[in-house]
Amino acid sequence: MSTAEETPEATDSAAASDDLALLLGRVAARDAAAFATLYRSTHALLYGVVARILTRGDASGEAVQEAYVRIWEKAGEFDPAKGSPLAWMATIARNRALDEVRRVRPASLEAMPEGFEPAAEAVDPLAARARSERLAALLACLGALDADKREAVLLAYYRGFSRDALARRFGAPTATIKTWLRRSLMQLRDCLES
Amino acid sequence: MTLSPDDDFAAAEFALGTLEPGERATLAARRRREPALDAAIRAWEARLSPLAEATPPIAPPQDFLPAIETRIRAAAARPASDGVAALHKRLARWRAAAIGATGIAAALAIGVVAREATRPAAPHEFVAVLQRSADSPAFVASINLDTRELTVRPLAAPPQPDRSYELWIIDPKLGPPRSLGVIDAATVTRGARLAGYDRAVVEDATYAVTVEPKGGSPDGKPSGPPVFIGKLLPVEP
Repeated sequence: MSTAEETPEATDSAAASDDLALLLGRVAARDAAAFATLYRSTHALLYGVVARILTRGDASGEAVQEAYVRIWEKAGEFDPAKGSPLAWMATIARNRALDEVRRVRPASLEAMPEGFEPAAEAVDPLAARARSERLAALLACLGALDADKREAVLLAYYRGFSRDALARRFGAPTATIKTWLRRSLMQLRDCLES
Repeated sequence: MTLSPDDDFAAAEFALGTLEPGERATLAARRRREPALDAAIRAWEARLSPLAEATPPIAPPQDFLPAIETRIRAAAARPASDGVAALHKRLARWRAAAIGATGIAAALAIGVVAREATRPAAPHEFVAVLQRSADSPAFVASINLDTRELTVRPLAAPPQPDRSYELWIIDPKLGPPRSLGVIDAATVTRGARLAGYDRAVVEDATYAVTVEPKGGSPDGKPSGPPVFIGKLLPVEP
């Protein structure tokens, strides 16, 4: 495998979707140099995804490492017809973070979130430049939700809020949050399919 | 195959991440056996995934690439164990995991495996490995579906001084979790504790262990989230 020294400088923002898809193809063929380039092109985005959900630096590092091992193993399953390479990789990282934050554990060991809270910048994808048609369509559909319900979906997606956490945030019973989520998600699906 | 609206919503919440830990573990187990549910989860992930792409990046505190490469090399040295795991494969995996556990647990596990392996064809025998993760089996529950007898063998359950482990059966058809009684962390616990439960429920249910005050939950409800969880697998003759 190539090492960090052999790879070019990080190209966080430069790598285009097509290049990433090609890299994933090479990774599927067990090309270690391509994997290193893929890592350098995407690690800040994937770290951004997990760090907002896990808040603890050590857990975030662990989740990112597991995500890249999975990306190495699953690269051959990437299907460009179903989404962009970045969305595919970020979803893998997000699932690792969610598995960790929702890990079944004894109540007595329930760790309080400690220390590092990632920059509390408002995640506002509605203001973000739509990088793809899929994102543009999803944002348009999110924009059609009531403000509170949209915020609930985005807090769940970006910060890993559970129903209980959303209930505390909005001062509403958990059952109400569940109803919100159900209506919002079904409305999103109908909107995306229309 | 179509999915019920409730299951489709559960798939959506799985993808969004809002399920509570026990619900998420249950759905993660179900999707391995239910292709329609698995497909629904993937579809919801794909619908929402453009949001992940729009996440503002954060520079990681260190370069993880060397550590990742080390993990990949270590994983390559192990036999593959991924994909849509067949039940047989999962059974083999828990056996391997059990054998890989600590010394006393390994000895117990070999005993279990040897007994199961030498038993004549017994299609009504099921086991559930109750564990936190694939490499830490804590208890093995075996259930005879004919007699409804439940046997729980400790593997590597940490002792809980002044507390008790309690076993629960969880299934949507039952409503809230139902207690199957306190189980011992040091010795085998036996009893016809599943008498009266429907066969289909017993087969499909999730089995969960909580830590309770000594003697078991005072009010018949789990007082915290499960510490170990498992589903039944058929024992091969």
